[in-house]
Amino acid sequence: MRRTVSVRNSSLLPLVLVLCAVAPLAAQSPPAGQPPLMGQRFQKTVPHIESGPWKGPRLSDGQPDIQGDWSNTIANHNNFTDPQGVIPGDPQARRRSPGPREERAPSRVSDPSDGQVPFLPWARKVQEQLLANSFDPVEPEFVEPLARCAPAGVPKSFYWHGYEIRQFPGYIVFLFNSGSRIIQLSDSPHLPKNIKLWNGDSRGHWEGNTLVVDVSNLNSKARFGRTQEFASENVHVVERYIFDNDRKSYNYVATFTDPTVFTRSWTTTIPARRYTVADRPDEWHYEVKPANAPGKPPIPDHFERVCVENDEGFGRVATSAQTTSGTPTTAPQPTAQH
Amino acid sequence: MSGIWQTTSSADYNLEPEGGRDDAPPTAGVIDGGSIPYLPQALAQKQKNFDARLTADPRLKCFTLGTPRGIYYPEPFQIFQRSQDITVFFEFGDSVRTIHTDGTLHPVDTDNEFWLGDSRGHWEGDTLVVDVTDFSDETWLDRSGDFHSHDLHVTERWHLLDANTLDYQATLEDPKVYSRPWTIDVILYRHREKNFQLIENYCYTHPFDQYYPYPKKDAPPTAGTPSTPAGVAP
Repeated sequence: MRRTVSVRNSSLLPLVLVLCAVAPLAAQSPPAGQPPLMGQRFQKTVPHIESGPWKGPRLSDGQPDIQGDWSNTIANHNNFTDPQGVIPGDPQARRRSPGPREERAPSRVSDPSDGQVPFLPWARKVQEQLLANSFDPVEPEFVEPLARCAPAGVPKSFYWHGYEIRQFPGYIVFLFNSGSRIIQLSDSPHLPKNIKLWNGDSRGHWEGNTLVVDVSNLNSKARFGRTQEFASENVHVVERYIFDNDRKSYNYVATFTDPTVFTRSWTTTIPARRYTVADRPDEWHYEVKPANAPGKPPIPDHFERVCVENDEGFGRVATSAQTTSGTPTTAPQPTAQH
Repeated sequence: MSGIWQTTSSADYNLEPEGGRDDAPPTAGVIDGGSIPYLPQALAQKQKNFDARLTADPRLKCFTLGTPRGIYYPEPFQIFQRSQDITVFFEFGDSVRTIHTDGTLHPVDTDNEFWLGDSRGHWEGDTLVVDVTDFSDETWLDRSGDFHSHDLHVTERWHLLDANTLDYQATLEDPKVYSRPWTIDVILYRHREKNFQLIENYCYTHPFDQYYPYPKKDAPPTAGTPSTPAGVAP
């Protein structure tokens, strides 16, 4: 799943180190009672978490304290609506059947109930076209921007590697594997409409255990999965991050409205769980290394995230896809090693 | 120090004094002692960099600017503070630097070659002192080709002159490139404009921005663009 790491580019060394960091921070195996690693990554169900009062600790400015490392519990970005299924048409798909649909995790589309993005007919056709051409991209637009180190955007950032949440008075900052995002907790006006951004412009507020974020100004260049779902620049997103009072899990519930692409508003639900020093760094959901802190309890260090600086390109993967007879031998996941 | 900051100095154009040129304004420089004490061979490399600056400056590719350049680059950055760390969020490239203030030390392994270095800080009175090591050699210090090696070691001193003015000093040591440590001093000002905010600037996407979003909003896809998609069901 990873590009070959070039040893010529010494800047990749930290990435190699991260890749090699297989030892857990505090223990050689998950603590007793924890499910095995694979079980944590590929859960079959989405927990129900009710919006309501926050009973956990708060920060000095009154925000619920939800800082730390998080990652989704279902699957990565391969397939948006059948997260544990194969990518339709993928020549690299495993021969082993993924089994009956009902034995896999549900669609990330939680409304409508059929689990499908309610595309207008033209938009469905385009999505299918993008998907069919994604395995051997002969035009630049068939290369998913994430494969060129672009930010994963909204909502894919939430199921593309783990991520860190930091909180400050008046702000929440997301540090994703690909991209970063500042959420202002204020009612100041959004940026002028003609400014379009990969992660949009976010204004949030807390309602009990739920962070509600209004996202505008999205450039809609990022796609939702390797299945190539998309919206347009007209999209408006309302996110609800519903935190369980156990502080161990939350659901990301986001409603997308874009009458130029969809027949109706629709909602995606993405479950996430917290990662702590008790978890094993796994190169994907929890990309940390023990800090050098003699005599202190374990503290995770997050190494710097760079991509384009080391990217001789997905660029390069795309090129090889064009110039060789076969399809790319690696999935375009340029930041997997970052 | 929480807030959005930016320098008004010309440091990013040239750290050294200069009378101005087509691609830079005149500046008295920001170096204590006036110029960078390059070793002879390094000075030759700096001249090569200068001659190639209009194409070779990593800034032009929107690469992470590095430390200290990100601080005096003429685009705002935001400081977020917690007790255990300081998050420096640069608008340019949306790169994020963490200054650890929790008493942790530099990593034991010293060949990580971080673009921003590894930053461990502590407070001396009301001055934040940051030790930065373990650098990549691929960042420049300004638009004039000033540079460093992997062996760069930066010591920063951040000090509020008043609520809206921040004094930033950085001492650079690099025995492969400089004959002695040298220090820069720049002033940073707090952005106080109404509703001022960082605006995401993933400028490294500019070379391929034109291909997305697809389809273009002004060119509805009913015509079946793009050109000859393969394998599309009718």
